Amino acid sequence: MGLAGYLIVAAILFALGIACTVARKNVIYVLMGIELILNAANLNLVAFSRFVGGLDGQIFAIFSIILAAAEAAVALAIVLNVFGLFDSIRPDDPDLMKE
Amino acid sequence: MNLLREELSWITPELCLTLFACVALLVDLFVQKGRESVMVGFFSLMGLLATAFFLYRQYGVTPPAQPVFGCMVVDPFSTLFKLFAVGALAFVVLFTMLSRQTRPDGYGEFYFILLCAGLGAFFLASTYNLLLMYLGLELLSIASYILAGYAKGNRRSGEAAMKYVIFGAVASGVMLYGFTLLYGMTGSIDLTVIGPKLRDQFALDHGTIPISVATGLCLAGFAYKISAAPFHFWTPDVYEGAPTPVTTFLAVASKGAGFAALLRFLQAGFIPDRTLGGPEAMMGYSDKLGTLVAVLAALTMTLGNLAALGQTNLKRMLAYSSIAHAGYVLMGVATMNREGFSSVLFYLVVYYFMNLGAFGVVMYYANTTGDEQIDDLKGLGWRSPLVAITMVAFLVALVGLPPTAGFIGKWFLFTAAVKKGFLWLAVVAGINSAISLFYYFRVARAMWLRPEEEAKYATVHASPAFAALLLVLAVGTVWFGVGFDSLLRYCDYSQNLLR
Repeated sequence: MGLAGYLIVAAILFALGIACTVARKNVIYVLMGIELILNAANLNLVAFSRFVGGLDGQIFAIFSIILAAAEAAVALAIVLNVFGLFDSIRPDDPDLMKE
Repeated sequence: MNLLREELSWITPELCLTLFACVALLVDLFVQKGRESVMVGFFSLMGLLATAFFLYRQYGVTPPAQPVFGCMVVDPFSTLFKLFAVGALAFVVLFTMLSRQTRPDGYGEFYFILLCAGLGAFFLASTYNLLLMYLGLELLSIASYILAGYAKGNRRSGEAAMKYVIFGAVASGVMLYGFTLLYGMTGSIDLTVIGPKLRDQFALDHGTIPISVATGLCLAGFAYKISAAPFHFWTPDVYEGAPTPVTTFLAVASKGAGFAALLRFLQAGFIPDRTLGGPEAMMGYSDKLGTLVAVLAALTMTLGNLAALGQTNLKRMLAYSSIAHAGYVLMGVATMNREGFSSVLFYLVVYYFMNLGAFGVVMYYANTTGDEQIDDLKGLGWRSPLVAITMVAFLVALVGLPPTAGFIGKWFLFTAAVKKGFLWLAVVAGINSAISLFYYFRVARAMWLRPEEEAKYATVHASPAFAALLLVLAVGTVWFGVGFDSLLRYCDYSQNLLR
């Protein structure tokens, strides 16, 4: 399979991720969407690294995987805190600050 | 070995900041309960002072742009932004030490995370490398998410953190995707290589759609960081819900770092060297990108100002005002030339003084009364004249009236835009400044034009330390409106060296 195949899969993943985050049903759902976006980017990086040039892309992908884990840890902690305070993980439920 | 030492010596400020962040974390363990805020804050301040000293030594570096480890660069541009970040951090640390809003325990971690966020801003301001840019952005963002939700048990703070993390993670993910596309098109993650490669692609005339998609996705990430439309929705809620010192950090240091990265990104990748003469397609693309940014600038300032008009909460009003100011600064970015970019730097420095001051007053007020409503400021001018007078100075600067620095800063932005041919943008910005007069004036009116008897609270004395901080900021706000020569020269100089 050529480069195009990988790119198409990545683009589909990216679109699915955006769709997940825009649907805003549930914060966990949104966080999964974010993971999809990041993994689409990782797939792009690795594919480009194989077909276009150099190891830069693979190194970039490793860093980005680690960062995704760090971000997920912080995000889950925040969501847990919100669940404790609001008894809900729907992203639209906490709305104390509307004019 | 010598080479390593030589290169390491260029990143002493970063190393120093890292060291003191760890020190802050350790000191927290050995300080008796109840005194953490002062002691750990004191060590953080020492660290910032040492970092500022090392930065000052790099002030007039020769050679003008020193690459470090092939992925960072030390030049006057990055030094300016690092000094900017250190100054903002110092004020945030001082505000935190004087604030009662942050939670009583766990201060060591607070300062540790704050300094780490500052480190992220350092990297963001001094790299052409997409990987390091992404790492810097994430370091800054992840630390900011934690800081926004730091007031544990406070529902507003929790909501702010959740909104911030969802929005921020999506935006940075989208930007990462854009970075990967740039990498795919050029085979490099170094912006100094990507620029010429893109130029070649323009010369081959493959069409600009792939490049436009990649640039657009990258710009989304930057727009989120500087809270520009259409990625500004998180700003009011996060600014209002987060503890005020954190809001100050987000409004000043985080936004400044975002602009630094945006300027570098555009400068290295998308501005053809007009003296050498790039391919016609690239010239056209650069101008189109400028027009896009100009439209975003107009949108951002209008949305921010119109929403600010109806606010009753002072902090939320300042949040919308900071969106509007991102719009004004984008006006300088839209010119895509040296003059515009140096006016951006100038305005950011000015913005630093007036916004730190305004948020400082909000913090002081909320601290002493537990209240953030604009109407409740009634009679403050008669009761606490010093605070009210400095606040008026900050408000006048935020509107952009002489003799403050806000006027000079806006003047440079307007002239840069007009010279580039964005007359319509300057007109929009002028109308917006007039609109902003209304809501800033409401604050001044509440403070001064109501009789003393209507005052809701008894005299709220500023502690001497706090009064001194406000005075320093107010003097800076007025001083740069008069003696702006040297700052302007430095801004211009740092632009010279950006290619």
